[in-house]
Amino acid sequence: MDGTLEFTMGLSEGVAWPWPIAVYLFFAGISGGALSVALFIRFYKQQSANTPFLKASALIAFVTIALGMLCLVLDLTNPLFFWRILVYYNLNSVMSVGVIALSAYIPLVALIALFALEEEIRRLPMLAPLLPLIDKLRPWRRSGEALVLVLALAVCAYTGFLISALIRFPIINTSVLPALFVASGLSAGAAAAKMLAVGLFKEDRHSSDMQILHGAEWPIMFAEALFLFMIIMSLVTGNAGAQSAFEAFHTGSWSMVFWLGVVGVGFGGPLLLNFATGERFSHSSQAFYLSGLCAVSGMMCLRMFILYAGQNFAI
Amino acid sequence: MSENIERRRFLKCLGAGSLMLAPLGCSVKEQTAQDAAPHYVMVFDQNKCVGCGGCKEACNKANNLPEGRSRVVLEQQSSAVAGQACPHCGKTDCDCQRKYVRVSCQQCQNAPCVSVCPTGAAHRDPKTGIVTMDASKCAGCKYCIAACPYNARYINSETDVADNCDFCLQSKLAKGELPACVQECRYDALVFGDANDPNSYVSRLLAVKDSVRVKAHLGTEPSLRYIPIVKLGV
Ligand code: SF4
Ligand code: SF4
Repeated sequence: MDGTLEFTMGLSEGVAWPWPIAVYLFFAGISGGALSVALFIRFYKQQSANTPFLKASALIAFVTIALGMLCLVLDLTNPLFFWRILVYYNLNSVMSVGVIALSAYIPLVALIALFALEEEIRRLPMLAPLLPLIDKLRPWRRSGEALVLVLALAVCAYTGFLISALIRFPIINTSVLPALFVASGLSAGAAAAKMLAVGLFKEDRHSSDMQILHGAEWPIMFAEALFLFMIIMSLVTGNAGAQSAFEAFHTGSWSMVFWLGVVGVGFGGPLLLNFATGERFSHSSQAFYLSGLCAVSGMMCLRMFILYAGQNFAI
Repeated sequence: MSENIERRRFLKCLGAGSLMLAPLGCSVKEQTAQDAAPHYVMVFDQNKCVGCGGCKEACNKANNLPEGRSRVVLEQQSSAVAGQACPHCGKTDCDCQRKYVRVSCQQCQNAPCVSVCPTGAAHRDPKTGIVTMDASKCAGCKYCIAACPYNARYINSETDVADNCDFCLQSKLAKGELPACVQECRYDALVFGDANDPNSYVSRLLAVKDSVRVKAHLGTEPSLRYIPIVKLGV
């Protein structure tokens, strides 16, 4: 007789996790993604110099994860209770595991940023007190970089695991979500760091680092699209709950965010700017920044869509 | 009266108001040590509930909740289809058919709120197995609220931490009483007790009545049982 009785009311009003969490997922993805890509390139090409792309990535990774933490803390019902998450642990909880990863990741990102930006720090007298610290920690740089690469990927993936543990939301409760979040984190993180590398650290838009990135962009974007397709297919062919959640893709305002934001801007934007415009424009700096912005905003829309549309369609 | 039988039994089990003794006190001769662990369940009989809301008020008082807040709400349902004649009285617009459903924490045996809580604030009481809160550990992250498939948790606006129905574990049960809502219900719509004890009133009730669990397919193993209204006619 199970299933003959249901209730639709609840004790909490609205969605449990509102936009600050989506913004946090966005920042964490950019942070982990940018740093992973930079370190991949660094290890792959066995670079020892501080390349503009590494500088930009380290700076972005640090700033975004700091802003992300701010979002997380401000979203607590009482931000002053934040210490409790740091003191009490439950290893069954993805969030607790994430806290452990973040508390190693954040200081390490700060360290990587110190090393990467050493020249800049030398130039600013205000930051001089940091120099002895950099010298002292220098022997740890290599191992720190290796460790932070693992942690950066872990942070990207954990944001996916964090929400995929919510069993009542078919759009969110899927094992593909962490993979989707890693892929979109890598692409948006790389796009953000690329823009900063060119804009602030005077990287040549046609340097070999940029060439590698340009080559990696499309396969990553393809993987992202594939993961999204997998989620959609599993909803369409799934049970009644999954099928009703599929509605999120064709009704309501969140479906607009998906089709215009994620698909149109996020995937369509960079594709059009690179392949549908003339050689002259697609190699211009406007096209470069525009397609970077498209990738980053598409990813923000993706996080918003998953979190809101996901929570709106409960079973 | 079922409530009284149940209360007497319950008081006997709890001994001198000490919940710790419950598993020991309850073990009747033929029970062995391992099946002495209690499984507290609540039965909501839809046939008896009139929607008076007494349970909500009792909950509010017993657990010192903010004005207007209880850990339980009642959803009114009707099998009438809008625009069609009521199957009961035949009018197109009536309010004659009322049935209520208790909405509250389902006390899952496999509780998502407990497994996601990063601090262990949402936890299972080791002695009774009841899902309850350690308010001093809750960080207010709302992970449990997002995770609960029954939307049965909320943030207490006075304490800023999450809260759920715990069968009055910290208020009434600690004193050896039945949950406040069960005590209050004048229509006998609520029954509470240990389903692992074959002699308890709930066990005997569940043995003879068809009961259902809400969203049992999610695998959360809810401890709330509902006796639905058996549809008449149509
Ligand atoms: S109903 Fe919700 S709050 Fe209650 S035990 Fe289950 S998951 Fe936790
Ligand atoms: S809101 Fe409190 S009880 Fe709920 S998961 Fe977060 S820390 Fe645990």
